[in-house]
Amino acid sequence: MLRTLLLTSALILSIPAAAQSDYAAPVMITAEGTILTLADTPDIATALSAGGEPIVAKVLGAVCDFCATAMNKMFGRYDDVAAVYVDLDAKTLNLVLAPGATMDDDRIRKLVKKAGYKVDSIARSPDLPNAG
Amino acid sequence: MERKAFIAVAIVAALQAAPAASARPVSYAGGWTLIQETDRQSTTGLIHYSPEASFSVGARAEWDRRDDVLFTGVQGTWLAKRWFGEAHQANLYLWGAAGLAQDVGKGVSDSPSLTEPGVQLGIMTDWETRRLFLSYRASARDFGKLDASVMQAARVGFAPYEGDTGDLHTWLMIEVDHRPDNLEPLGVTPLLRFFYGPALFEAGWSLADDQPLLNLQYRF
Repeated sequence: MLRTLLLTSALILSIPAAAQSDYAAPVMITAEGTILTLADTPDIATALSAGGEPIVAKVLGAVCDFCATAMNKMFGRYDDVAAVYVDLDAKTLNLVLAPGATMDDDRIRKLVKKAGYKVDSIARSPDLPNAG
Repeated sequence: MERKAFIAVAIVAALQAAPAASARPVSYAGGWTLIQETDRQSTTGLIHYSPEASFSVGARAEWDRRDDVLFTGVQGTWLAKRWFGEAHQANLYLWGAAGLAQDVGKGVSDSPSLTEPGVQLGIMTDWETRRLFLSYRASARDFGKLDASVMQAARVGFAPYEGDTGDLHTWLMIEVDHRPDNLEPLGVTPLLRFFYGPALFEAGWSLADDQPLLNLQYRF
């Protein structure tokens, strides 16, 4: 009985990992040449597969969940943003825009400022034009 | 005049004191913050709206259980300065409230229903990383015939682990407060802080006078 329970648990726990095993997080580059990696979340993967542009911003001062909530709420208001996630470990704001939408660096900096924080640098895909 | 000078001196003294805070009523632009704070002396409720990330306005209701005085009024809070670092953040807040203070109980005045105009001024400052937290706050109030007093509090905290976004964040903290007019002027309150998404909850116990500390904050 215990063995069955453990095997079932292991199978259930392995499903998300298996589902994401073919996901390759896009590597982004800032104007200064710093490499940032887009966070891997289900919302981001879905938005990427829909064809949205990924953007990663290094954010200063993001040390708590209130910081993350503020930026998630601020960017979540806009239809241009298909997915948003603040990674406290990496200190990054991760965005995937809606297909066809654009967001220049100035606007990202302004929205982060309206959330109460500050952008250090912004990274985009090397094969996409940097709108900054 | 003497009372105004007293409050001015108290605020200047607070500004010159060691750095560090309590609830942060200032949220992101367009955000609301709901706060309930219960410490060894008072229970306070605030609902604040932040038109910008640098200030908030809202209502403040504060029941001073020591004196049985109820203050209701309008409060403005200004994030005067935020220092950003890759792994830290520091803030300086100034706040002021104006309203009415009413003697609602056993009373500090002869008339239990005495109502006086009341003003409060305060400063809060904090510095934090994902593992360490320091804060300091001081405030002064003038409730006319009902009360004129000052207080200050400092807090230090430590997070035993670094939670990522969406995790339960846990802090072990200790707060020391000084209220010169209290029977127990010096209070020591160990507490636990929990962060979960837009909610913050704190629970502690004042060792000086066996009173609870219960704080709740929600942002939306």
